[in-house]
Amino acid sequence: MNKVTENPMLSIRGLQVAVDDKSILKGLDLAVGAGEVHAIMGPNGSGKSTLSHALAGRQGYQVTAGEVLLDGHDLLALETEERARLGLFLAMQYPVELPGVNNMHFMRESLNAIRRARGEEELDAVAFMKLVRTKADEVGLDQQLLKRSVNAGFSGGEKKRNEILQMALLEPRLAILDETDSGLDIDALRIVADGVNALRSPERAIILITHYQRLLDYIEPDVVHVLSDGRIVQSGDKQLALKLEQQGYGWIAGESAA
Amino acid sequence: MITLERQRSWFERQLAAATQSLEQAPPWLKTAQQQAIESAVRLPPLNRKQEAWRYTSIEGLLRNSFAASDGVARQREIQLDQWLLPRLDSFRVVLVNGHFSAQLSNLDELPSGVRIESLRTLLGADPGMLAACFGHTARHGENIFTALNTAAFSDGLFLRIARDVELQRPIEVIYLHSGNEQQLMQPRNLVVLEPGARATLIERFIGDASAPYFHNNLSEINLQRNAELRHYRLQQESRNAWHLGNLYLDQHRHSDYRGATLAFGGAWARTEYHLDFNHPHANCDLSGLYMTGDKQLTDFHLMVKHGVADCRSREQFKGIVYGEGRAVFDGHILVDRKAQRSDARLSNDNLMLTRNAEIDTKPQLEIYADDVSCSHGTTIGELDQQQLFYLRSRGIDEATACKLLCQGFAAEIIDGIAPEPLREHARHLLADTLDRVAFTGAGG
Repeated sequence: MNKVTENPMLSIRGLQVAVDDKSILKGLDLAVGAGEVHAIMGPNGSGKSTLSHALAGRQGYQVTAGEVLLDGHDLLALETEERARLGLFLAMQYPVELPGVNNMHFMRESLNAIRRARGEEELDAVAFMKLVRTKADEVGLDQQLLKRSVNAGFSGGEKKRNEILQMALLEPRLAILDETDSGLDIDALRIVADGVNALRSPERAIILITHYQRLLDYIEPDVVHVLSDGRIVQSGDKQLALKLEQQGYGWIAGESAA
Repeated sequence: MITLERQRSWFERQLAAATQSLEQAPPWLKTAQQQAIESAVRLPPLNRKQEAWRYTSIEGLLRNSFAASDGVARQREIQLDQWLLPRLDSFRVVLVNGHFSAQLSNLDELPSGVRIESLRTLLGADPGMLAACFGHTARHGENIFTALNTAAFSDGLFLRIARDVELQRPIEVIYLHSGNEQQLMQPRNLVVLEPGARATLIERFIGDASAPYFHNNLSEINLQRNAELRHYRLQQESRNAWHLGNLYLDQHRHSDYRGATLAFGGAWARTEYHLDFNHPHANCDLSGLYMTGDKQLTDFHLMVKHGVADCRSREQFKGIVYGEGRAVFDGHILVDRKAQRSDARLSNDNLMLTRNAEIDTKPQLEIYADDVSCSHGTTIGELDQQQLFYLRSRGIDEATACKLLCQGFAAEIIDGIAPEPLREHARHLLADTLDRVAFTGAGG
């Protein structure tokens, strides 16, 4: 039962992506409407991370066919930073460490770049500090981490919270969370989920990319998709996620091959 | 090819142009200067056959002749305010074209036990004091530039701090170049910290004149038992300048030297640190940062000699090279047979921002003792594509992302500068220099 979305915020049609000349996404279609939360699940190697990186415009992800529109803009024609300024946010599975780059300074540069693009005034250091401290408390990030280098020496959970903090600051139109649940214990998972739930709004769409159903206990999706061999092979409601949890991905491969 | 004859005739020309300091010299100094001249003309030519000069050519220098400097006449023209760091409360020595300017310096309220004066003043007023500490470590027989400085130095800083005196305010030496003539500046500094003395010394090399000049700087630093010196050097010479710095560091038992040396300017800039541990339990912690672009060569040579046991040395240098810039790093740690339990680490990390940049780096460990802890390493890399992607995915444009990563790379060195106004100034210098880099395409 695919939810039919009219005038979707994000519309992906026939997307094909190759990495190192190896075809990974083989004609992916997806439509996500404002206010919706979609979960994309799939076995390892199905193309989940390739999808998120291709949408964010990462070098080395070669789009060979297809179209991606975000609020009507041709996303694939834009540079990575331009996509971010349109409101695309990717919470990464492995946030990189930036030694020597102060976390607070980085986030202010980022927010002000996006505010400029939206035609809003930049925040000065004082106003920003106030804002970031409030948001850090909301996502349960130790304020000491704001003074350190971005992600450098952070634990896995701290890195993920730092991603959620950036998402809360930047208030994206479309947030993609790439395996944000991986490596989190149950408490950290709950805090991250609370952060995501707090951002649910009729103005915003969220895509959760995950291998496990566990995250969906905390963030209830409107639609669940199954990605297999570079295509979406099944879509349904959250019951689909439970079925995957119980039966694994084997039956999907069998069905789509049939 | 640089031949002995060419080098010698250049040396003699420079000497002839800069002999004014010889006239008033006392006999002991005249003797020392005569010896320097004699050794200079015998020194082998500094061509590529010499390991220490393999990657750094003095060809351009030898093609130029430099006139004696005229600092005193120039000091009225100097707008010093533009160069001062308003929040840095320092005792200030200003040398204009290598000559002490009493008018621009600020040595009011020196505490007792602290002598800060010009070398020329000292030569007139207290030549015995100068004789006692001049030329102990600077070996002119090995280095033509040390010989030239010894034979014809113009002036310089004399700093002596008495036993157990701790000077809170930093001493700041500002070397300014002014004027359009092609000048030779030869300041010479003598720094003596008596046992238990503590001080912070800041040197800033500033040149904004368009004419080329040659700054041949020399410092002898003598740290006696338990003395502590914090030493910071910011080289921002004119982009047309030749800059040569020779530092001779003599450390006694339990003395502690910590320093950072930053090089941004000059067309051709070479700095040599000659560090001798002749007494045990001394510590030397030196870090460096260079940023080198089009038509620039930056060269650091470190010679660290662990001649006795139980000393510790740390040398950490980082470089950012862009455009067609060239950087040379040669760090040599020598651990003598007697120098057991030496603890020495040396590293040189480089960020190459463009394909046309060049880096020649050579860390060397030469160890004759068997109970030591020594390491050395060097890296050359580009900006990390994953880090760039991360920043850009947060809306930050490519050039700003590159700049942030370069600043992050340099932060380790700049953060080690203790006086906050100077640290802030160094950050600004780096940011301004990074603004000149054309980053577009680095991530593509």
